Amino acid sequence: MRTSLAFILFTLLLVMGAIAHLGIGARFIAPQTVVEAFFHFEPRNFDHNVIIKLRLLRLCAAMVTGAALGVAGVLLQSVIRNPLGEPHILGLNAGAALAVVLTSALGLSLPFGRPLVAAAGAAALFLLVLLFSSSGRTGLTPMKVTLCGVAMSAFASSITAAALILDEQTLLAMRTWLAGDLSGLNGDTIGSAAGLAAVGFALALWLSPSLNMLALGDRMAQGLGVSLLKTRLFALLAIALLCGAAVSVAGPIGFIGLVVPQLIRRLVSVDLRVMVPLSALCGALVLLLADIAARTLFTPYELATGVMTALVGAPVFILMASRMFK
Amino acid sequence: MNRAGLRALRVGIFSALIRPRALACLALLLLIAFLLVTFGLTHGSLPIPASAIGRALVYPQTLDAETHYIVMDIRLPRLLMAVLCGAMLGTAGAAMQSITRNGLADPGLIGVKEGCSAAVLLLIFQFPALGLYWRPLIGMAGGLLTALLVVALARDISRPRFILIGIGVSWAFAAAMGIFMTTADVRDVQTAMLWLAGSLHAANWTLVGIAAAWAAPAFALLLFTARAADVALLGNQTATGLGVRTSRLALLRVLAPVVLTAACVSCVGSIGFVGLIAPHMARLLLRGGQTALLTGSAVLGALLVLLADNVGRLAFLPLQLPAGIVISMIGGPFFLLLLWQRRDTF
Repeated sequence: MRTSLAFILFTLLLVMGAIAHLGIGARFIAPQTVVEAFFHFEPRNFDHNVIIKLRLLRLCAAMVTGAALGVAGVLLQSVIRNPLGEPHILGLNAGAALAVVLTSALGLSLPFGRPLVAAAGAAALFLLVLLFSSSGRTGLTPMKVTLCGVAMSAFASSITAAALILDEQTLLAMRTWLAGDLSGLNGDTIGSAAGLAAVGFALALWLSPSLNMLALGDRMAQGLGVSLLKTRLFALLAIALLCGAAVSVAGPIGFIGLVVPQLIRRLVSVDLRVMVPLSALCGALVLLLADIAARTLFTPYELATGVMTALVGAPVFILMASRMFK
Repeated sequence: MNRAGLRALRVGIFSALIRPRALACLALLLLIAFLLVTFGLTHGSLPIPASAIGRALVYPQTLDAETHYIVMDIRLPRLLMAVLCGAMLGTAGAAMQSITRNGLADPGLIGVKEGCSAAVLLLIFQFPALGLYWRPLIGMAGGLLTALLVVALARDISRPRFILIGIGVSWAFAAAMGIFMTTADVRDVQTAMLWLAGSLHAANWTLVGIAAAWAAPAFALLLFTARAADVALLGNQTATGLGVRTSRLALLRVLAPVVLTAACVSCVGSIGFVGLIAPHMARLLLRGGQTALLTGSAVLGALLVLLADNVGRLAFLPLQLPAGIVISMIGGPFFLLLLWQRRDTF
């Protein structure tokens, strides 16, 4: 009951958010016109053209990114059993950005382009963080994972910065992207990123029953017939794909994966079969709202979307960290 | 000679306990620093032989005007700034680590740096007419407020949670800086970007003077409280029993690192990780009490920044990497190493 209510509510909110997102901009377009543009598209109407040809792209980008980041956050937190798990905090975003910048600086071009490169970078960095933080007698503690992630992320971003300074061409190509900005996108990147995110999302849905059991503890899960290694590896793959998709579209945007799962866990359910699809909805919604706020709060200036999410997310992180570690 | 390697030295009525091994080590480090400065003076886009500079020390007129300008007004202030900043950041880290009894505490890591930067950015954007002299003052106010905020949020400063909350605070300030950067005038943003990158190339004699003016009292404060800080390491209760005013000491010893970091950040922008690396290396090389630790951290921090600046300046000519970026390439792995050492404790 509560779950279906939440699904309906979030879908409604998402639709309303999308209409608002399409309407707001340098030229305000009334909600009725926005809806009309979809159902009775007139090629001569200026407003309809603006919405379909210009603003729809940005809306799609925001929704794909938000959904991917929300789901990635849920998966990360259940794999490392730590509510502070988040692609930005654990350095996955920095790894993805580094991979993209390095391949661009070296002049390599790979099949599927940016999203897959970003996914590989995120996976590599996360593996390093996991390896480092599972050392020692205490094992994989929240504090160790978080601090390792921060250190790795500082390292990766310093190399990214150096590569950008030394290679002017890459800097020109990457400047707006690196700030975590949704403007200046092309359809191809969004298309391939959406494909990658869809694969990751399907994997996440398929894994969610086993991840549910993993939450009971390694031994209990094994007794219930869950293969630990397989589940973790596939979860890692899904996380990497989702992060890669998100980063390749919008650059490093943080804290969506921290706020969204926490919200759903508090309000709706801790069952991962519910959390995964709901986080996708809620993540898309939160990023839409952040994007709207980033564009309207300081008109005529447009903030980068990543700045907006960090403004809200960093205090949430502080609150959670101070509650968690007494 | 007693067990700790201490030896008594008497000159007239004055006497002191010194450790020859530590002094030798320190002398060696100073020699390396001197060599690095000479290297930095002679190398660059226009190589100037060391002999020419040496001769110019005795006969100033042998150097032509252009070379004189390059050496005296471009390279020398930059190198001095590197030395000064490294020393300031190193000592700040050492003091912070000892008063918090937390080996991961570094004013740069817990958000003081970002707090300073945000305050200075506000100054650059809102009051561009105000001079360079105001920057350290405003930066200090920002840094102090940030430090207070982190301490208030974390309550217990000697646990890893302190670091985590500091990192969270630094993210929040970084986002705030993002707002300033997008909403301000483009010309101001350029000034700010240059300053933020943590590059020493803008160093001039005025900045060196400002930094030195703030560094001297803070250094003195730290050295005068070194003995009390040694005792305070035994724990608050014991230290109080032995006659140390612990709360006043804590106040002074948190104040001084914040002042040092703020002065440094407002002069050259954000250079991180020096306060984390230098004290650990100093402890490894010199051992001993607070005085040795502070001096060692200062010298090692200076060495680190000098090295980073020389590498960043010369490795990719004609392009230059800011020293801040070079140091965080070393700093990230070093932080991981420290975590690795403590892997069983948290």
